[in-house]
Amino acid sequence: MVGPQYDLVGNPLGAVRATFERAAAAESGGRDPVAAFRSKDWGASEVFRSFLFEQGGLDKVPLLDASNLGLIKPNTLVRFRGMVQDMLGNEFYAGAFKDGSTWRTNKFTDFSPFAMPHPCDSHLWERHLFHCVPVPGQNSWTLESSPGPDLRQMANCLTPEQREKRKRDGDDDAMDVSENGNGGSSSCSKKPKEDDVQIPSSSAEMPASENVPQMNGNDHHIPGSSFSCLVKIYDMPESQVKLNDVAEFIGVYTFDPELAAPNDNSDDIMFDLIEDVTAQLPPSKVPRLHCLVWRKLSSVDFLAKHPAVEPLPSLLKGIRQSLLSHLTLVLGKDDLAANCLLLHLLSRLRTRVDVVTVGRLSLNFTGFNRESVSIFGKQLNTLIQGLMPYSQAIPLSIEYLNTATLQPRKDNKSGRLVTGVLQLPQGAHLTFDETLLQSGSLASKGVENTVLLKNLMESQMVEYDFEYYKLEMATDVQLLTLSEGKSNILPSDLVVPFRASTVSAVNATSEELESWRWYLATVRSLPQSSEPEIYQTIQDEMVSAMRNDRSLGCTELSRWLTMAQITASSFGEKSLSLEHWQMAKELERLRKERMQ
Amino acid sequence: ESLDVDAHDVFDHDPDLYGKMVRYPLEVLAIFDIVLMDLVARMEPLFEKHIQTRIYNLKSSICLRNLNPSDIEKMVSIKGMIIRCSSVIPELKEAVFRCLVCGFYSEPVMVDRGRVTEPHICQKEQCKASNSMTLVHNRCRFADKQIIKLQETPDEIPEGGTPHTVSVLMHDKLVDAGKPGDRVEITGIYRAMSIRIGPSQRTVKSIFKTYIDCLHIKKTDKSRLHIEDSMDTDNTNASKSSEDGHVTDKIDKLKELSKLPDIYDRLTRSLAPNIWELDDVKRGLLCQLFGGNALRLPSGANFRGDINILLVGDPGTSKSQLLQYMHKLSPRGIYTSGRGSSAVGLTAYVAKDPETGETVLESGALVLSDKGVCCIDEFDKMSDNARSMLHEVMEQQTVSIAKAGIIASLNARTSVLACANPSESRYNPRLSVIDNIHLPPTLLSRFDLIYLILDKADEQTDRRLAKHIVSLHFENPEVVEHQVLDLSTLVAYISYSRKYIHPKLSDEAAEELTRGYVAMRQRGNNPGSRKKVITATARQIESLIRLSEALARMRFSEVVGVRDVTEAFRLLEVAMQQSATDHATGTIDMDLIMTGVSSSERQRRDNLVAAIRDLVMEKMQLAGPSMRMAEVKKPYLSVHVVCPDTIAICPLS
Repeated sequence: MVGPQYDLVGNPLGAVRATFERAAAAESGGRDPVAAFRSKDWGASEVFRSFLFEQGGLDKVPLLDASNLGLIKPNTLVRFRGMVQDMLGNEFYAGAFKDGSTWRTNKFTDFSPFAMPHPCDSHLWERHLFHCVPVPGQNSWTLESSPGPDLRQMANCLTPEQREKRKRDGDDDAMDVSENGNGGSSSCSKKPKEDDVQIPSSSAEMPASENVPQMNGNDHHIPGSSFSCLVKIYDMPESQVKLNDVAEFIGVYTFDPELAAPNDNSDDIMFDLIEDVTAQLPPSKVPRLHCLVWRKLSSVDFLAKHPAVEPLPSLLKGIRQSLLSHLTLVLGKDDLAANCLLLHLLSRLRTRVDVVTVGRLSLNFTGFNRESVSIFGKQLNTLIQGLMPYSQAIPLSIEYLNTATLQPRKDNKSGRLVTGVLQLPQGAHLTFDETLLQSGSLASKGVENTVLLKNLMESQMVEYDFEYYKLEMATDVQLLTLSEGKSNILPSDLVVPFRASTVSAVNATSEELESWRWYLATVRSLPQSSEPEIYQTIQDEMVSAMRNDRSLGCTELSRWLTMAQITASSFGEKSLSLEHWQMAKELERLRKERMQ
Repeated sequence: ESLDVDAHDVFDHDPDLYGKMVRYPLEVLAIFDIVLMDLVARMEPLFEKHIQTRIYNLKSSICLRNLNPSDIEKMVSIKGMIIRCSSVIPELKEAVFRCLVCGFYSEPVMVDRGRVTEPHICQKEQCKASNSMTLVHNRCRFADKQIIKLQETPDEIPEGGTPHTVSVLMHDKLVDAGKPGDRVEITGIYRAMSIRIGPSQRTVKSIFKTYIDCLHIKKTDKSRLHIEDSMDTDNTNASKSSEDGHVTDKIDKLKELSKLPDIYDRLTRSLAPNIWELDDVKRGLLCQLFGGNALRLPSGANFRGDINILLVGDPGTSKSQLLQYMHKLSPRGIYTSGRGSSAVGLTAYVAKDPETGETVLESGALVLSDKGVCCIDEFDKMSDNARSMLHEVMEQQTVSIAKAGIIASLNARTSVLACANPSESRYNPRLSVIDNIHLPPTLLSRFDLIYLILDKADEQTDRRLAKHIVSLHFENPEVVEHQVLDLSTLVAYISYSRKYIHPKLSDEAAEELTRGYVAMRQRGNNPGSRKKVITATARQIESLIRLSEALARMRFSEVVGVRDVTEAFRLLEVAMQQSATDHATGTIDMDLIMTGVSSSERQRRDNLVAAIRDLVMEKMQLAGPSMRMAEVKKPYLSVHVVCPDTIAICPLS
């Protein structure tokens, strides 16, 4: 298109309609011109795509977040970055209808701007609904990297948000009351509705009913993230989006308070029971986004600017050195621990064969006590927050295990997936502080939680509770444990006794941090090729190692190889060489020495 | 009232009619109903109830996820799980009104599309009062209605997705036909309904709500091959009639598998394929998974069918991996570390080692693994207290708990798979099993099979392991090992067999069993030895029966044949040779397991006792009553290397 006729940011629907009309006109020879547009794009998203990515329009699109919700005008183009927290299925809508002699479309909007004549020629199309939330544990630097035009205070204002939430809950209650009041006057009481909801699940779900108030859209327990977005995606097989994917959605922000109003005094009470999950997500708090263009985000996308530099080994080596020396300083001059931490930060799940996972490297620093955690643990957390796009630090105490909701759970009553701490995007980082763990009794919830954590550690799987069955979801989470002795509750791959010699306050400059982030993201995405020549040597070395130490098993040897491979890629090498294998073995030797 | 019509019959009668029925169900079903009413009236003129046709068993069923706008107003058949049911809603069918002024009852008014037209004026000539009519509830006719939520079954959910749900509307007889948690197949009409914002609004919201008007509901869960039930051997009343095609297919496939001549070897290979060698151990573990028949005599005596296995071995011999694998295979498997298993507690306890600061989780595993396999790692590190619980579990299959004045006996019908490290971290071949693992012999004897997994430095094995690890990391396609059942098939195979196959001993097999047992016992009667060495006990014959039953189950055979018995003997012997060999004489000696003292050792001790007794008698005659224990021990300690405790008791006898 030569210069958009419409202001694509201010009036995206205008452009949608224009393209639709043009396309419909082109098809008008047929008997049913719009039938061909079902679950197909007629060229609208093409216009937006070229505007956003080729003409640099992306920077003009405001980023929707908790702070500017309500300030952005409805029916304008917005961006939203978040994690797919729940999939709410499909929604059928009258995609196209005939108004007199012209065809009109409802695509990318909840409401027709034109009155739909009641009995009219219309086509039913479908779209997919996704409930998206800001990525749990998202670190502040990732927000700075994608400034929109009206960049507002990105700091999460927790308290007003919560106050709003409370208020909203109150509103809901009020709605319910009025609904009941109306119901009484109609021929059939509405009371059964409330009862029937509880009967089938009363025994199994008593605690769930307590959860219901906090269910309304912002049930995320991570402070500051009580914000979510209902994304409606068109023309796409649903399988393309997976649960816990992190993506950027660009589309039309719509707001219509009428949608929220419960259709009370309706003549068909029964259909209140075929309730809509979206009804629990009030549009005033949960914005609707009709997605025109979307793309998955990886950690590289969060970097401030894309230094279009070829990841040459020489360059990476330099950054590696500076990062390593910084890690050493943060860890009180413990060189071994710093090396292991680097490998840990670079690890990622590469393949999964049956129950075996390849590539993960969870780390357990032992020898911490409460005092040292408050010093080194804090520094470590700050650093990880600065380096990883999403990270969380979890204080592991008896109380936490007994009370926290780690497991995501499907609430069949509301039809929503209630998130748990372990609903995490790929590549998230978790730090457990086990020094807080004292002797004590675990309740059944605590037992479940420890089993979940152990499963996550051992097989990178999280079981989601779907009430009648459990479903295992694959994850890729990096796990770091700080503990006094070796943790048996969280069995890590690599156990390193931590020995700090000095305490030094270190601060990295923002340029340094930026280069390190780039380094971590780049190295983690480096492809790994293999050169068969080295196999034989490694195999021989393994055999001789086993001969010397009979206690070596599959897990140890597998870990050696993982460490060697990460070492290789940390230098920017694409394939494993003998040199790096020896480095990994040396590291392992030093670690063993320290274990004794 | 209703008449169920198999859609396959409709198709066989007229494929065109079937096509019309699926595409235009509203119209076609109405015609069906009229025809049906006609027929009924002809057969039974007095029959007055409304009768309805219910179509089921459509030729193709659709996945809930794939319902799309083109299915609207069509007949669909979907499978799913009921997750919620509403209460029964009375729906008004015929309304009766009464005039508040004169008390006149109106004619019943039919409900038309959810609306009742209330008469504005009283129809009684004399009254004619306007707006005086009121609904009389107990004169109206209501029909039952219920809305259920149907969710996709777990196997239909693609990776990284969440299940979809759909609302289903049930009428009359279908109400309460399914409960939450049931797996059902529903045939019905898919419908969409526009949402009006309010009667005053002229705009209709463009969004539609969808639901299925249910015609027929069929429960499918009785026959499913699902993991949860698989160990449920009590559930023998599974109705075979409700098996649907998919499951039958699966079963046929399993049956085909079972007919393969090398199924036994194939199963062995499929068990933990990435652990090599240890074939006999794997065979034993397979037997454990299949299990024998539990028997309950009318007298109340119980014979357990579960097979307990103990693996003893050097560190690093992939015992733990075997355990992990078994835990994955077994439906209600619990994996626990012996280090701090409290065995019975239903809650768990976090304990901290005061020295190392290591944290340990104490969990109650046995009760949780009822009808499953309880895998206990580091069995030797289990506290005595917890271990004593196992005595009861492994023979009586119950756990007794005494808490707050209540004594409860919980079922723990679990097979125990334990693994232990030798007490000196490496197995000392010069010592007996008992000495190598410090376990009470009473407990040891409750294990059907005890395997010693010794780490023989074998370069061949090491090389294979190294190669495997390397290939795992470099994504070599070499992983494809043919003739191996995948995990899910294996699980299905085992659960089917456990559920449906209950083999009986054939006469020949019984004969063989007796013969073999006698032979085993006789093996102890070495012509040279003075005292009989017991090589087999009654416990062993029970084990043998269980093992041979499990072996028959592997072939889906209802009869335990001679070959099963022979193999069971072989398995037992392999296990015994490794564990029950008396290292002093080199023969199999069950006494070693039963009492912890081998018969040659016992004989030595007897000699000692006799000698001491002689000594005591002698001394007593000589020097009177007072005498120091040390003096007794002295002359003998130099001769026999025995622990002093043994002697200390002797003089008292």
